[in-house]
Amino acid sequence: MFTKLNAIIKKEAIILLRDKIGLSILFLMPMVLIFVMTIIQDAAFRSINESSIPIVFVNNDKDSLGDMVEFGLRNNELCKYYDSIDGKPATLVTAKQAVADGKFLLGIVIPEKATAAIRENVTQLIDESINPTEAALKLNNIKDSIEIIILIDPVTKKSFISSITSALREFISEVKTKIMFETFSEQIAEVIPDGGSKPSNTFNRSQIFKYTEQYASKNNSEIIPNAVQHNVPAWTIFAMFFIAIPLCGSIMKEKSEGSIFRLHTMPTSYLLFMQGKVVVYVIVGLIQFLLMLCVGLYILPLFGLPPLVMGDSFSGILVLTLATSLAATGYGVLVGTLANTEQQGAILGSLSVLLLSALGGIWVPTYVMSKTMRSISEISPLNWALEGYYNLFLRNDGLSSVLPAAGKLLAFFAITVAIAVTVNKMKRKT
Amino acid sequence: MSNQPIIIVDHLTKQFKTAAEPSVRCISLAVKQNEIFGLLGPNGAGKTTTISMLCGLFPPSSGSITINGYNLQQNSNAVKQIIGVVPQDIALYPTLTGRENLQFFGHMYGLKGKELDVKVDVWLEKLGLTAKANHKVTEYSGGMKRRINLITGILHSPKVLFLDEPTVGVDVQSRTVIIERLKELNTEGTTIIYTSHHMEEAEHFCTRVSIIDQGKILAEDEPKALINTYPGSKNLEDVFLHLTKRKLRD
Repeated sequence: MFTKLNAIIKKEAIILLRDKIGLSILFLMPMVLIFVMTIIQDAAFRSINESSIPIVFVNNDKDSLGDMVEFGLRNNELCKYYDSIDGKPATLVTAKQAVADGKFLLGIVIPEKATAAIRENVTQLIDESINPTEAALKLNNIKDSIEIIILIDPVTKKSFISSITSALREFISEVKTKIMFETFSEQIAEVIPDGGSKPSNTFNRSQIFKYTEQYASKNNSEIIPNAVQHNVPAWTIFAMFFIAIPLCGSIMKEKSEGSIFRLHTMPTSYLLFMQGKVVVYVIVGLIQFLLMLCVGLYILPLFGLPPLVMGDSFSGILVLTLATSLAATGYGVLVGTLANTEQQGAILGSLSVLLLSALGGIWVPTYVMSKTMRSISEISPLNWALEGYYNLFLRNDGLSSVLPAAGKLLAFFAITVAIAVTVNKMKRKT
Repeated sequence: MSNQPIIIVDHLTKQFKTAAEPSVRCISLAVKQNEIFGLLGPNGAGKTTTISMLCGLFPPSSGSITINGYNLQQNSNAVKQIIGVVPQDIALYPTLTGRENLQFFGHMYGLKGKELDVKVDVWLEKLGLTAKANHKVTEYSGGMKRRINLITGILHSPKVLFLDEPTVGVDVQSRTVIIERLKELNTEGTTIIYTSHHMEEAEHFCTRVSIIDQGKILAEDEPKALINTYPGSKNLEDVFLHLTKRKLRD
């Protein structure tokens, strides 16, 4: 049996190595694909994580609120701050026009005396608390709400708008609290004559909460999620599954050239024959994987992208990659057996891999899918592989974390090959 | 020649699901050891279907096949070890060389090592292909492809050899070499089942023939005996036309 298997492997390898165009498609195209897709997707990642949204700010307040918002915008990584348009200080009218022209994605206008209005309202509210009867007389003098205008370019993503408006709310609330503290301190100083004993820097001392962003992982990973970490494994899996098409083509070619016909008359089983193909195409899949890792490690950094960080589990990567490659070749064997012509095989193979990849979260992450689609995505072997690689590359988990995914992929391989052998038997009976 | 039949075909029928009529209708045959048995018939007569069932490509709808004492349906692997098949269409890997094709198919028959290398060299020499053995099959002429196609089926010295129109589309030189080598093989003990449209070739090559049409056997005997059976027939072609008529076939 091993002599036969060796002969099948040798034959398959020679045929593959002599097909120069086929080889270049097998190895170069996935590298180009991963490179292009990562560069493209990097732009989307940056728009959320790193790059700045141009914002024009009109500060008519010239007081605490306006200054704090200005300070916040200038120091916010999400924003690229502008307060002038064509060299002139921005106004409501010019800002509105500039946003409408698409020069800025957002415009923020703080009205005149906004801080003064907050201060006045806060003072009256405190007065009311301390001296209700006196305050009741002044109650009617409380100003209406302050109108902060946010100008929005219709192309702006909702997520950006909500980020900016929530930041704005935070600034306003901070100013209000600060004014309240100051007013309280002043009122208390009036009630308690010994003003020197009042606590200093009261507001800043009251800010006891601070926020630290940490990426959760089991191994205290320092891997930072970025386009490379997301895209390299995703598109690597996609390319590995695309091996189903040349593998299917190879089976179809043998059908049309008659060599499968001859093999059916020989004391060699279809399963053994397919095993030889699987060995060769799994090796091709592993080489593809290595080349695509090299793109992530060495080529993408040349274009300003961060290098791929692969985590610490070599054994995890090996097991998962082997299982993914087996699942992809098993699928190729099934498609090649099901199809009756090369055209059928090419269409069935490419469309089904595209469908499985879309379902599996290669094109669009599963977390943005609906609950139903998320459940459906779990049937895609590409999703199993992707989750496995995310465990290794993003969460820095070990071998044990990929065993469930690897197990499912191996089961998928066994099932697809078993179906292929059964279908082949049934086809010969008719 | 032994009187012991090596192939026994009993009431063999094949009805394809997609066809309205059976391709083979209840045929029975007994081929003796070392015979060269010709299965002759016009296009669509059922020759290729019969040969395909005999070499285990697909199962019959009914009836049984016994080869060398093994029931084909029950012991297909044992039967496949002792048979050789030369299909009508060239069934080779075009991007492999002639030698690589022979090495690969030899391995599939269980040959290996020096034995395989020697057999490959001997047969390449016998069929005049040594000089081009390391060229890709795509570079071969039609006659050369036919010869390699033939070697692939006989490399492992089969007990029974099925030949489906082995000389179709080749020049006289190639045909002569092929027939000579097949006769040698037969002398060495290989039973041959052969289909052809070439009546003159069949008349001289076969020890016994069966004329088949519309899935049924119309006549079966030694070529000379058949010619004598039908008065006015000078050769096997006359017998063939007498039995299958002159109507054109699809």
